[in-house]
Amino acid sequence: MTYTSVWIAFAFVLIALLLSLWQRIGLEKEIAIGAVRCTLQLLAIGYVLQFVFHTDSLLFILLMIAMMIAVASWNAASKGKKLRGIFWRIALSLAMTELLTMGLLVALGLVSPTPQYLIPMSGMIIGSSMIVCSLFLSHMNREVETSRGEIETLLCLGATTRQAVQAVRKRAVKASMIPTFDTMKTMGLVQLPGTMTGMIIAGASPIEAVRYQILIMLSFSSATAVSAVLISTLSYRLWFTRDAMLHP
Amino acid sequence: MHSVMEIESLGKKVLSAASTWLFHDLNAIISEPAMIGILGKSGQGKSTLLRILGRLLPPDSGTIRLNKKEMTQWDSCAWRMKVSYVAQQAIMLPGTVEDNLRTVSVLHQRPFDQKLARALCEQLHLEQVDWSKSAEQLSGGEKQRLALIRTLLLQPDVLLLDEVTASLDTASKQAAQQLLVDLHTRTGTTILWVTHDLEEARSSCQRIWFMADHQLQADLPSHSFFQSPPTIQARDFLQSAHAHAAREVHS
Repeated sequence: MTYTSVWIAFAFVLIALLLSLWQRIGLEKEIAIGAVRCTLQLLAIGYVLQFVFHTDSLLFILLMIAMMIAVASWNAASKGKKLRGIFWRIALSLAMTELLTMGLLVALGLVSPTPQYLIPMSGMIIGSSMIVCSLFLSHMNREVETSRGEIETLLCLGATTRQAVQAVRKRAVKASMIPTFDTMKTMGLVQLPGTMTGMIIAGASPIEAVRYQILIMLSFSSATAVSAVLISTLSYRLWFTRDAMLHP
Repeated sequence: MHSVMEIESLGKKVLSAASTWLFHDLNAIISEPAMIGILGKSGQGKSTLLRILGRLLPPDSGTIRLNKKEMTQWDSCAWRMKVSYVAQQAIMLPGTVEDNLRTVSVLHQRPFDQKLARALCEQLHLEQVDWSKSAEQLSGGEKQRLALIRTLLLQPDVLLLDEVTASLDTASKQAAQQLLVDLHTRTGTTILWVTHDLEEARSSCQRIWFMADHQLQADLPSHSFFQSPPTIQARDFLQSAHAHAAREVHS
């Protein structure tokens, strides 16, 4: 594909802009910013990836993964702005999830330890775990608010913060994991996932593309569970004061 | 002299950042186990005081000591096992009546005192309630009594009761009152009881704390408070409460 084709593809953005103007939706700025940012970010990452693939250096691979974890943590932490120290807890959860999942994929010989595999797959694992962390924080915020009475009742009976928030935490973990497993149930019937589609467009055989997609989806299941349990374990205390009272 | 609890210059602001005090400079000593009725108009901070004592809210000033040891030096769980708060709105924990009754034994890995639980249920007229029933299915009054029993099974030294009899019918209210008086007499549990029922306070409590004008205006033996209210606000409060009670009886 040439750059000319990419420029021509901006016609789609033009359609969105014209519709927004005609229907007075008022999203022209968002559409323009979204399109420009998406293009620039993808172009930049394309060049970065090309450089990393060529150098084949472990340091650059680790730097790329660290950057992904930092951006994902910053993004997920926006769901827990009131929670002090949530960024580092998310970062730790994502790093541990990545280490465990990628470590297993490489150790079991399922993917070869080259930048071509490590970076895109890490991106997908970190991305899906980021969504799980965001969902956990949203659900936990809501659950703690609606279950204040339940938590305080348990505190009044001498429960530790861990005991008092246990049921609430379990509900939030469950709610943050459900979307991944729901997606898995309809995979191939409702959605044709990105990796598979991309590989087919790039000329791979559909069967090979499907095999990779299965590998990715199955590794997502463990990444989802690991990140949800980790972030809940590392963060539940943040809803309490040092004195073990619920924050107002 | 040994004292159960000492409250020194305690204050709570309406909002943490605001300069308006809900109450301030509150001083009191509970020198021996007692039943204390906390009276006052709505909005004087009675429930907030109990929530601070139960370590559910932080004070904005002052100190509280239990058995001569400052609140901050206590582990929060240990404090709450000694000083337990029962809310006006009874909250049932997920599960059955029995699950709720067993909460304390599960939390603290103690054997469940079924005999005591049955005796308390009987005293509060809950002997007919099926323990396998979902706690959420109980009526408001039953929930309130179950919440009280759940806390009594913890056997705290100080019980903080926030209008716990407000939603009960007359018979259940009297049973609860009798149970609390018996508990205090038998075990020496100190009970701080926020109530709007003057008769309940007069007949059950040895002392009265009266809150008005952002302060603890009176800490007197119950008979003294009711016979000769010490301030104009206390006199007005008793008069309007009596008038209200008379209107209710009349209607």
